[in-house]
Amino acid sequence: MSQVGFAAAPLQPLTLQPLQLLLEPGPGALRPHIEAALAAHGRPLRWAVTAVLTTAEGKTALQIEAVVTNGVVGV
Amino acid sequence: MPALLVIPTGIGCEQGGYAGDGLPVARLLAAASGCLITHPNVMNGASLYWSDARIQYVEGWALDRFAAAQLALRPVRQQRVGLLLDQAIEPELRSRHLQVADGCRAALGLEIGPVVTTDAPLGVTLARGGSGASWGSLVRPDALLRAGEQLRAAGATAIACVARFPDDAGSPELAAYRAGNGVDALAGAEAVISHLLSEHLGLPCAHAPALSPLPLDPSLDPRAAGEELGHTFLACVLVGLSRAPELLPWPASAVAMAGVDPALLRPEALGAVVAPAAALGGAAVLAAVERGVPLIAVDNPCVLAVTAAALGLEQAGATVLSARSYSEAAGLLLALREGLSPASLQRPFEPLR
Repeated sequence: MSQVGFAAAPLQPLTLQPLQLLLEPGPGALRPHIEAALAAHGRPLRWAVTAVLTTAEGKTALQIEAVVTNGVVGV
Repeated sequence: MPALLVIPTGIGCEQGGYAGDGLPVARLLAAASGCLITHPNVMNGASLYWSDARIQYVEGWALDRFAAAQLALRPVRQQRVGLLLDQAIEPELRSRHLQVADGCRAALGLEIGPVVTTDAPLGVTLARGGSGASWGSLVRPDALLRAGEQLRAAGATAIACVARFPDDAGSPELAAYRAGNGVDALAGAEAVISHLLSEHLGLPCAHAPALSPLPLDPSLDPRAAGEELGHTFLACVLVGLSRAPELLPWPASAVAMAGVDPALLRPEALGAVVAPAAALGGAAVLAAVERGVPLIAVDNPCVLAVTAAALGLEQAGATVLSARSYSEAAGLLLALREGLSPASLQRPFEPLR
């Protein structure tokens, strides 16, 4: 499916970006939290929780490894 | 009862982390459930494959969407499998792949073609995440998707992609994998390629890496042997895709078909998801659990330690059934299929209070 850009956004060529994030999950289902965090970096293509860690403050943090896409085909 | 089997790619699972060594598990769970939906990493053994009408071959991107109730699956008798070749593949290796495709046409009766070569080398790179899981990327994803668009426009209904992967014959990672105690270093990049194609085209897609042949290893682990029988990893992909189900957006376009096609696999019908107990943090498992689908967590060691307890799945209301082996998981699937409470099969059996 092709992306539809916003009017003011310049089109960028398609790129893949590997990511590793730490995320402190909020209440409720995990998946929406993870996908929202990844969406700040691009369109989530593939991701997984690859570790569950405890922060210095004693909170649970999810280690997410992912690849996100940016840009469009054909530019 | 449709069931989902997930053995994530590139995390070194003892069962299913090598070359098609998840296939016996898939066959067993297909028999127990009557309908198993699983992904190429489970089914692909390079030159080795198994076709079973009870098994639906669904690439990871589409599998995630089915689990999230965004896609339905329509079983088909045959797909027309377009072949997408990376421009970086050397002429002799390219001929080997075309001969495998021809062999599958002649000996298995598969509908394969046309063939499209990318307009630039794809530039596959391999990487390892902080967890030890294999990942990877492409320098030219645009070239991959353009070639896929050409195949779809030419009538392909499924796409087998072959990208030139970096040869790593002397690497310690490959030596460990061939000895049966390593992670498949190629798997992460393969998944990225097939996810990208499936998402862009909405067609069943799968990937085989093109690599130079390896020198003989007399101590090769049997689980890795499937990849050393031939010149390519392509035959299993062509067989799997030849009957891969059609992907239908759900409920948008598939719901109208549900009444007229009883074979349509609707996401609501999913009765269980089976996954390694230490690798429960993938999109498909989390999506299925969110929808209330029972999870069978199987002891199948890997490099991860993302368990139901660590993720708090049971505290969040998920039904998690533990299995010490896939044989036990098959029994649990059968119980669910027959409407038996798994608790009734275990002792001690606690009274109601």
